[in-house]
Amino acid sequence: MAYLTQPDYVKYICSCGQLKPITSLYFCRHCLKIRCGFCICHEVDSHYCANCLENMPSSEARLKKNRCSSCFDCPSCFHTLSTRATMAQPRQVLQDPAAAGDAKVESKQPKKMYYLSCFNCRWTSRDVGIPDQPVASGGWPERTNPHAARVNQLLDYYKAIALQEKQEKIERERKKFNIRGKYITLTDKTGLTGAMARNIAGLPSSESSSSAIASFVPSQASAEVEELPDDIFTKEVNLNQITSMPQRLASPEWQPVSVARLHPLAKLLSVKRSQRCRACDHNLTKPEYNPGSIKFKIELLAYYHVPEIKIISHEPVKPGATSALLLKLSNPTGHEMTLRLLRPEDVPPHDDRDEPKSIEKSLERSLNLDKDTTSFKPIERVPVYSATSHVTPPDVTLTLAQRDDAAEYDDDAQHDTNDIIMWRKSNKLALRLEVVTDETAEGGSPAVAKLALQYSYRNTVPPAAAASQPRDHTLYTTVILDLGTVSSN
Amino acid sequence: MSHNVKILPGATVCEDCTLEGDITIGGGTVIHPRVTIIAEGGPIIIAEYCIIEEYSTIIHKKSDKQENPPKPLFIGAHNVFEVGCKLESPCGHIGESNVFECRSYVGVDVKIGSGCVIGAACRLTAPQTLADNTVIWGSDHHVREALEKQPSQLLQLDFLSKVMPNYHRLRKPNVHKRQPSTRQSQESSPKP
Repeated sequence: MAYLTQPDYVKYICSCGQLKPITSLYFCRHCLKIRCGFCICHEVDSHYCANCLENMPSSEARLKKNRCSSCFDCPSCFHTLSTRATMAQPRQVLQDPAAAGDAKVESKQPKKMYYLSCFNCRWTSRDVGIPDQPVASGGWPERTNPHAARVNQLLDYYKAIALQEKQEKIERERKKFNIRGKYITLTDKTGLTGAMARNIAGLPSSESSSSAIASFVPSQASAEVEELPDDIFTKEVNLNQITSMPQRLASPEWQPVSVARLHPLAKLLSVKRSQRCRACDHNLTKPEYNPGSIKFKIELLAYYHVPEIKIISHEPVKPGATSALLLKLSNPTGHEMTLRLLRPEDVPPHDDRDEPKSIEKSLERSLNLDKDTTSFKPIERVPVYSATSHVTPPDVTLTLAQRDDAAEYDDDAQHDTNDIIMWRKSNKLALRLEVVTDETAEGGSPAVAKLALQYSYRNTVPPAAAASQPRDHTLYTTVILDLGTVSSN
Repeated sequence: MSHNVKILPGATVCEDCTLEGDITIGGGTVIHPRVTIIAEGGPIIIAEYCIIEEYSTIIHKKSDKQENPPKPLFIGAHNVFEVGCKLESPCGHIGESNVFECRSYVGVDVKIGSGCVIGAACRLTAPQTLADNTVIWGSDHHVREALEKQPSQLLQLDFLSKVMPNYHRLRKPNVHKRQPSTRQSQESSPKP
């Protein structure tokens, strides 16, 4: 996200230990912790084409190999191709200008023909001899994969193996069950055979799968390779005619060697993702389903919940010296916030009381077994970030008003300035702080200051069941400030 | 200024542009406002049906080994100079149906054939000769060879020559008769 403070001068330490700017962090309202892209679950919500914005269910997307059927990318520069229209005269008239009268009548009605063109590198579908199409979308010739049969064979084979293994597993379990119980099963009673039952259930019969396995021929590696042409070292190379590596890899089925074999690439689909907290399984972001919309249904970004720190300016950092640092704090929440600046060492360690997991959650866990989240536990490493400079925190408690979009039209600014608070304006305030740099800091090395922040946070989650839970919390966050480089004396 | 500018009938030349030196502008050519064309090293001849968009600059630079009489810079028909492009060329011949995209730069000692495209913000500074239908694009200056010439912009030209007089003061054509004999000689002389 492009942002005023880029490059990232102020970085927050995520609960997993990553350093991130506030714009790429999330805030879980249920765990009350900062989360980043590395410590959350990314889930695919929907597939869509970024060009035509067509939505596609995931099964259809899989069937179409995650490619859009109507949009194409340029095989030369991978920019999106556009359809262009031309008025084309019927062919035979062009070839034979001195044709008879009825041909001339025909030529008076030019037909609209369409071709694909790239606005970036000016590649056109005519360059590789694809005939123009009479319809604006679709109808482009599709090339078949030369190895399609083999690929399908392999797919069938692995499907059959997977099916067989599944059946064996079921069988084994049933045997275990049979030993224990003496009940007459339904199949015994009705004379229904396994094959019939499978047929009724719509599963492929075991015979066909076994036949797929039996008839499969593994490929043989051979040492015989086609000889290189004689003129391979003597022929002059025309680089304009040879495709580049990215161009070949973009169509792995054909891997064209010459430019004349480049064909339009069906555009790859994009996905909308939703993010989920790994600790509590609550959604952090959830986009709207419509691919044309860029809004979110759930959007728990740190930018809306964690006080934001910006560097206004600072004096050059010198080893062993004290320099002034001007910071701006702002409160993005709709509630008043009290803040204290602390030294990072004073932050109380994570009280991993790990409140007893709610029944609801453990139920959810047991329901999606295949996710199997119990097998791995997030390792929370304690981040060690050395900082050469230290901010001397003033021993004051600051109060920040709630965010009010209309406040910028008021002009009664509060003037309770003192030697720490420089100015205050609605939900923002500017601080004058001091940074002490170590004697040992080398000139030219990056000057980094660490600062911890204690802030009050009012949780606005509807307190349905947990009404007794406190709504106001005291949270901590640590930020790393980039103060340029240490200047040598 | 503009002491020696010849504008042939059918050309649309806006008044708000800088034309210096010996310049000939062919019929059907459209020159947008704020264009700079400076012929300091020799005459510039722009053929028919070119589009020269805003803030583009065409300079016929003075060179040390000046010939006498100075060689003209000849720009062929159907060339498109997009917004902010710059062409500095003392050795001049530019073919037909080329496209100089936005903010492209063509330095001295670059010979350009026909049907070439200099991509947006591409800079050609080294002495070179572009073969016909060469396309240069992207920040890495990828080179490609197109199969056919770029389609001509006749529809756009039609539209511009109709619309331009409604919103801009134009320079009047000052050559009312074609001089085929002189044009012919100029056209043929700079060919390599």
